[in-house]
Amino acid sequence: MNAYVYTSTLRQHLRFSRIMPWLVLGIVAAVMGSIWNRLAPGSTDIERYSSVSTILVYRIMALASAIFTTTIISQEVEQKTIVYLLTRPIPRWQLLLGRYLASVTAVAIVGVFAAAALSFAVFGGGGLSNALFWRDCTALLAGAFAYGALFLLISLLINRAMIICLLFAFGWESSVPQMPGNMFRLSIYSYLQGIAQHPRKQEGGISQALGFGDGLASLTPVGSFITLGILVVVLAAFCMWWFTTFEYVPREDAE
Amino acid sequence: MIELTNASRWYGQVIGLNDVTCRIGPGLTALLGMNGAGKSTLLRLITGQIRPTTGEIKVLGMEPFANPDVYRKMGYCPEIDNFYEHYSGRAFVNHLARLSGFDPSRAKKRTEEVLEMVGMSDRADKKIAGYSKGMRQRIKLAQAMLDDPDIILLDEPLNGLDPVGRRHYIDLLDHLARNGKCVLVSSHILYEVEQMTRSILLLHRGRLLAEGDLRVIRGLIDKHPHQIRMETDDPRRAAALLSPLPNVVSIRFERDALQMEVREPDAFYDLLNKLILEDGLNVRGFSSPDNNLESVFHYLVEA
Repeated sequence: MNAYVYTSTLRQHLRFSRIMPWLVLGIVAAVMGSIWNRLAPGSTDIERYSSVSTILVYRIMALASAIFTTTIISQEVEQKTIVYLLTRPIPRWQLLLGRYLASVTAVAIVGVFAAAALSFAVFGGGGLSNALFWRDCTALLAGAFAYGALFLLISLLINRAMIICLLFAFGWESSVPQMPGNMFRLSIYSYLQGIAQHPRKQEGGISQALGFGDGLASLTPVGSFITLGILVVVLAAFCMWWFTTFEYVPREDAE
Repeated sequence: MIELTNASRWYGQVIGLNDVTCRIGPGLTALLGMNGAGKSTLLRLITGQIRPTTGEIKVLGMEPFANPDVYRKMGYCPEIDNFYEHYSGRAFVNHLARLSGFDPSRAKKRTEEVLEMVGMSDRADKKIAGYSKGMRQRIKLAQAMLDDPDIILLDEPLNGLDPVGRRHYIDLLDHLARNGKCVLVSSHILYEVEQMTRSILLLHRGRLLAEGDLRVIRGLIDKHPHQIRMETDDPRRAAALLSPLPNVVSIRFERDALQMEVREPDAFYDLLNKLILEDGLNVRGFSSPDNNLESVFHYLVEA
């Protein structure tokens, strides 16, 4: 593979102006972790970390994935610079794979930074020796791959895919894991929680009475890895095939 | 080098290119047509950005769509004026060289060579966002030259160039064509094309109206006799000598000149030589006002 595709795209993603807002969001997660006791008095450090990680860090990662991944091709098409890429002597699948991996790396960096900032805010100097943090890092990396592959596919199939990706990241991924029965299996977030194995809170109330979200506890790390691995390979392979087979020309030229 | 066989391309209900069959070999060929004639569609088909709806396109014997083997031998200078604006010209060309698979040192060397070739090496460190239109055109040409391609396709490349830059650009294309490259230049500005080449492909509403040497095409347009303007001291005597000639269709008097319409101009010029030598016809000069690209274009498009 042309390694330059990966390194140049990653450099673009990590430009200061582009990465700065994500670092700020990571710091917001850390601030939330440090003031969580005021919102939920009596919670343990593990609960504080786990709550803020679930509410913020995974959402930041999904949001970053939606934004970084949809720029892989659709931004080039919008800006019409896709012409320069597609007329270079490089197989299209390599071009897409290099850019996808760069986007996954950038998203993983954003997620891990947010998790690390939160861990230090909650556990102080022992932030990096906390097992939950390392499980989160693994889950965030898996999430970067999985969300990236899904959002890449959406951006290849649909014009202006960002809105759909954001709806998926915040609407679908927030609600489906809480649905009854096996619906949770249709959410990437469920499998990420299966890898992270966050301690489950005893919430009580009607949700628990109806058994909503109970299925999450049944997901093992190995099973979640395998499921996400299959999803990533299938989606990424389909994206490569699609991008190699179909036309990508600047928007107004295609209309 | 490039071969189209009954190639058509539809965009939904709109036809972009309609049943075009042609071959384009080494040398400089101009792709002519008004806006919307199908020039850019043809170039996109040849560069493999899009596929023909029907028919076949071969470039160096290969299907061009998404084919890296074709792109290794082809340079494309698109019409679009879009770049990675935060890059300098040098960084942009170097970036595309690296994407083409050049290692860092070779990419740097080749970048300098092509920037030198297009006359941009001294100004290439400025950000592209601050470039004039002419500088942007040169940078686009530079990136097209990176792989030292056998086929160079340029979509409206002279737009925005100043007269000196235009001359330099045309000379460069001429030099490439003389070195055996296949250079295809699309344009709708006829006088520019006329300075470059007499070999044309003329598109109109998606159809290929004419292909080949401009003079030959003009000779084949029977519907419009050739216009010849002859300057002479004695127009009446000249008209008396010329009117019996079989090729002369009409004669119109002007002050110190005759404006004629003739068929088969080569035969007419042979007879005219005889009249000058044997009958002492006094000719101060003559010109052929419709023996140019613009006239050919209008005759064909009107037809």
